[in-house]
Amino acid sequence: MSALRLMKKGALEYTAMLIIWAGLVLLFGALSRNFLAVSTFVTLANRIPPLTVIAAGMTLVLIIGGIDLSVGSVLGLCGSVLGVMLVGHHWPLWAAIGFALVIGLVAGCLNGILSVRLGIPSFIVSLGMLEIARGLAYLVTGSQTKYIGSAVEGLSEPLRGFGIAPAFLLALCVIILGQIMLSRSVFGRYLVAIGTNEKAVRFSGINPVPPKVTVFAIAGLLSGLAGVLYTSRLGSADPNAGIGMELSAIAAVVIGGTSLMGGRGSVVKSFVGVLIIATLEAGLAQIGASEPSKRVVTGLVIVCAVIVDAWRHRVSGQLLKKFFPKIAGCF
Amino acid sequence: MANSKKMKSNANSRTQWIALTLLGIIGLICGAGCNRSDTTAPAVNQTTGGKPRIALVMKSLANEFFSTMAEGAKKHQAANAASYDLVVNGIKNETDLAEQVGLVEQMVAQKVNAIVIAPADSKALVTALRRAKEAGILVVNIDNKLDADVLKQAGLTVPFVGPDNRAGAKQVGEALAQKLKAGDEVAIIEGIPTAFNGQQRRAGFEDAMKAAGMNIVSIQSGLWEMEKANAVAAAMLSEHPQLKAILCANDNMALGAVSAIQAAGKAGAVLVAGFDNISAIRPLLEKGQVVATADQHADQLALFGIEAALKILKGEAPPADQTTKVDLITK
Repeated sequence: MSALRLMKKGALEYTAMLIIWAGLVLLFGALSRNFLAVSTFVTLANRIPPLTVIAAGMTLVLIIGGIDLSVGSVLGLCGSVLGVMLVGHHWPLWAAIGFALVIGLVAGCLNGILSVRLGIPSFIVSLGMLEIARGLAYLVTGSQTKYIGSAVEGLSEPLRGFGIAPAFLLALCVIILGQIMLSRSVFGRYLVAIGTNEKAVRFSGINPVPPKVTVFAIAGLLSGLAGVLYTSRLGSADPNAGIGMELSAIAAVVIGGTSLMGGRGSVVKSFVGVLIIATLEAGLAQIGASEPSKRVVTGLVIVCAVIVDAWRHRVSGQLLKKFFPKIAGCF
Repeated sequence: MANSKKMKSNANSRTQWIALTLLGIIGLICGAGCNRSDTTAPAVNQTTGGKPRIALVMKSLANEFFSTMAEGAKKHQAANAASYDLVVNGIKNETDLAEQVGLVEQMVAQKVNAIVIAPADSKALVTALRRAKEAGILVVNIDNKLDADVLKQAGLTVPFVGPDNRAGAKQVGEALAQKLKAGDEVAIIEGIPTAFNGQQRRAGFEDAMKAAGMNIVSIQSGLWEMEKANAVAAAMLSEHPQLKAILCANDNMALGAVSAIQAAGKAGAVLVAGFDNISAIRPLLEKGQVVATADQHADQLALFGIEAALKILKGEAPPADQTTKVDLITK
């Protein structure tokens, strides 16, 4: 019984977004000669892991009512560190990756500790971190792109006979683990509660500080992972990597229905948000749209997707009240 | 809830202000430190007097091309410390015109003898440079040529020292065309469409491709960035399966295109050309993954500008516009 209801609830949750995505795919399929091909989707899948991983972290940060603007810069820094360690210092791959991830984690912890313990808005702290991490990325690389080559490309090398790279599977794991943690663990429940009403959480005898700091740390670590994936896909460490990625991530997460005010969100839906943004980018490039029109269309789709999501919330709420009065309150 | 948030923010506001002030102070210290490191030499030597002070105003020093240019200028100054002093400044983003205008004004206020500038925009900088000239400061234009019509309107003559991007790109295109057959499909990934040098390179590529009878099937912008170019190249490859070559307006974008070609399993079947000859492109040139690039001798570009400025300051007649060499690099 409850399984059926959960399925219906899930279907309603995802229908609107998947319709938008399918619509985009069909639209580009009609407008271009070769969009509806396996290769397009394989390319798409291999392109999105960095943004996917970052969007997962961003979802958690937005759920607790915070924001992390530093993700793109931290990606750039971690990628740069990875490149410098491999090319300049000849570290083994595992050590260089480990070090890059630690850098990401440290950046995330700093964001968390400064914003949560000192009570500085995370917007400001992460804005500072955006500048610091980008500056460090230029410093460690001497503002030069580092070519690494096959040493790091393994993660993004398509698996034989499958086409999909391990990086995509890794990103998918992050999404699944993130969603399970968010909706099935006590920690996840804390996050939603903190985002909804932090005071009430405190009055219930729960200290909101550790979960909040942890969330920023996770976001930093995932940015580091994104940096590794990005570097492996391009085979080179680029200190300019990820400029503006924080905005793409926020757009994807918000398209996925996560509230900027906190308290509501889903990691899986952020992933669909990433799919929508990436499909749009790939499709517009494939039909050869001009740069200005690409930006106009992308902006329109972001706004429309959020409008549709808000509308879906109202309508599905009403439908649920009509057919499943008992679970309608879940929305 | 809004109330409780307000109360909380009031309670925290003092901590916030303290923290913000601290951040501000740190920022100032850092800023002062950075400026000092760039201007130490002139500040010390200013008192010795007699020597001309030359300000080099660059585009983004985060870009390898301009950081190489700045290094070259600093080395030259160190070797000729007796004959002039140098102040090097760059902006943060290629597109931040206001910051570059501010730098010019700052240099005017510091009463340098000459400004050697690589303008971030060929039109928007003219007014600031006119004011500099009115203040009795010599202006020399390097790298990106100021718009001739706007200069005429402003009643300004500025000597230009720099490469002919169009001719350079044409050479690269011709080298690539030798490896193709007439009628082959090719695509161009251009830089930021508003940048003059980007437009020139695109035009040069087009000249060469048309002369060799190639079929240009797509021209899109990669915004000078590796990841953007990677996305665009991936889309071009799936939309145009017969594509034989991709010409990129800089090497960063060429790196992005190469990894897109590899990901599509078309390594060797699709040729790539770049521009700038950055260090990261060399391994790819050796392996033949990139066919050709162009070297504008960034390290010498600023020197030519500085030397021209020194000559004029000594009373020589301003030289006619000087074209610096662009070398074709194929190995």
